[in-house]
Amino acid sequence: MKRYDLLTPEGTRDLLFDECIAKRMIEERLRKIFSGYGYSEVVTPGLEFYDVFNGKVRYFPQESMYKLVDGKNRMMVLRPDSTMPIARLVATRLREEPLPLKLFYNQSIFMVNPKNSGRDDEFAQSGIEILGGKSKAADYEALVLAVQALSACSDSFRLEIGESSIFRLLVAELDLCSDESENIQSLIETKNYPALNDALAPYSGAAAEALRALPTLFGGNEVFAAAEKYMITDKLCEKLASLKETYDALKASGIEEIKVDLGLVHKKNYYTGIIFRGYVEGYGQPALSGGRYDNLIGDFGRDVPAVGFAINVEAAAKVLLKNSDMSLSTPADVIVHAAEGSEVEGLKHCTALINEGKTVLNSVFATEAEAEQYAMVNGILRMDIIAADGSITTKEI
Amino acid sequence: MENKKIRIALTKGRLENKTVDLLDKIGYDVSELRDKGRRLILSILGEDIEVVLAKAADVITYVEHGVCDIGVVGKDTIMEYGGKFFEITDLGFGKCKFALAGKKGEDFYKGYGVKTVATKYPNVTRGYFEAKGMDVDIVKIEGSVELAPLVSLADGIVDIVETGTTLKENGLEVYEDVAPISARLIVNTVSMKLKQERISEIVKQIEENL
Repeated sequence: MKRYDLLTPEGTRDLLFDECIAKRMIEERLRKIFSGYGYSEVVTPGLEFYDVFNGKVRYFPQESMYKLVDGKNRMMVLRPDSTMPIARLVATRLREEPLPLKLFYNQSIFMVNPKNSGRDDEFAQSGIEILGGKSKAADYEALVLAVQALSACSDSFRLEIGESSIFRLLVAELDLCSDESENIQSLIETKNYPALNDALAPYSGAAAEALRALPTLFGGNEVFAAAEKYMITDKLCEKLASLKETYDALKASGIEEIKVDLGLVHKKNYYTGIIFRGYVEGYGQPALSGGRYDNLIGDFGRDVPAVGFAINVEAAAKVLLKNSDMSLSTPADVIVHAAEGSEVEGLKHCTALINEGKTVLNSVFATEAEAEQYAMVNGILRMDIIAADGSITTKEI
Repeated sequence: MENKKIRIALTKGRLENKTVDLLDKIGYDVSELRDKGRRLILSILGEDIEVVLAKAADVITYVEHGVCDIGVVGKDTIMEYGGKFFEITDLGFGKCKFALAGKKGEDFYKGYGVKTVATKYPNVTRGYFEAKGMDVDIVKIEGSVELAPLVSLADGIVDIVETGTTLKENGLEVYEDVAPISARLIVNTVSMKLKQERISEIVKQIEENL
């Protein structure tokens, strides 16, 4: 029988040294932004009941979830997202909590990727959810925090905004079955112009024309003018105007990295209003994703409008690591070597140095020479030697 | 960043020549592409464009991971391997089709037994019969799929059909068409946004010269 004891499963990996530092740096920067803005941290279980992700509407294809069964033969999943568990939380344990509520999280999520795709099956995600409150104000806050989160990860990024109801309103104009509209949504999402034209070929009229144009409507301010003629109902005009207002307000506040994409639709179809994505140079997939979801928590039994986003910490850490020329880890300030019999004295000395704010490496080498050799190779500049009688000598290396 | 160039991945072989002709028609200097030797990364002189030559499925992989911004690949490969990218233009060349074929004169759907289908494209085949709500056994074949029904390994095959000559010469015929195929232009989702101006420009040039 084949043994797998020396391997990690595909899509997972061990993080070592600089990789850990980069990941913690990103997490720390994000945590600082989120808690600075008064968000409270929550941690949800890694294991959830399958039903949490398989409610009235299914947003997660079952083949993309890791599943197992509990002791009572009930189906469980490794959480594929953090927003659904938070929706569950808000409708249950936080039921009596007054709104608005601001939560943030930093935890791993799990998904089954196609094999050999080189994508992570487990990765850390950090994000926020604003529950309740005035929609427009909450949207602005989520967008500004998204920009801050992206700029904490990279100097070169874009945040792209869209409005999920534009697609929904246009599709409602055509008489489509849910399979057809799902197909058209995925063609718009992948900007598959040829197939989109084919799928819309049986339909004529302004709505079909608009759906055909939707994936081409992305870029800067010029998009709004180009989109106007496709907004065929008052409701649509209103949505576009509201998106433009958001765009203009963010631009006016000096956020240059903002762009629009009216073809932005999301496979996780729970978004109801604004929808946005962040891109970071050096990472081939969107690094941040979010939007407004006003009906999702209602599925768990409490009607609360909400907006939020998640940023892929692993992706941000990879980019940070790639962009930093030197090693992120620094050598210890002092190596402490104690002679035989005074090891405990040596540790006491270490503690004293640490309390002074230094970083210390306690030598467990057999000889002083080996300890010195190690310090030289690893760039440790000072060595403290504790003699058998407890006396301390300091040596520059 | 180190790489501001636009990198295009081309599928080696038949699509490659047609794509190079297209780039030539646009007015790019394709001399390096015509005379490439064994090099795998080539430049278009005088332009900020780099060309990478790869096997079809790898074109998708490179574009999906964002190490190439644009790719030229057959719809057959996209259908079989999938992936996350924008599929923005039907280039119109490399036209052929996926078809279900088998021994001439036989009825593939006859009887209750579960059919066995041999193919190089198991995902395409599975998707096709799933949409019909039909269970089939799929056998993956690496070489000449036409052999499988002849030696009674399979009741039929799903394969790319261009002219149908190979089928005819082996006493096989097309039972039904599965899907049309042609070359597609694909773009990485992040490049499309971060390098929007330059990529739109190149795509426009390509579309104008089809």
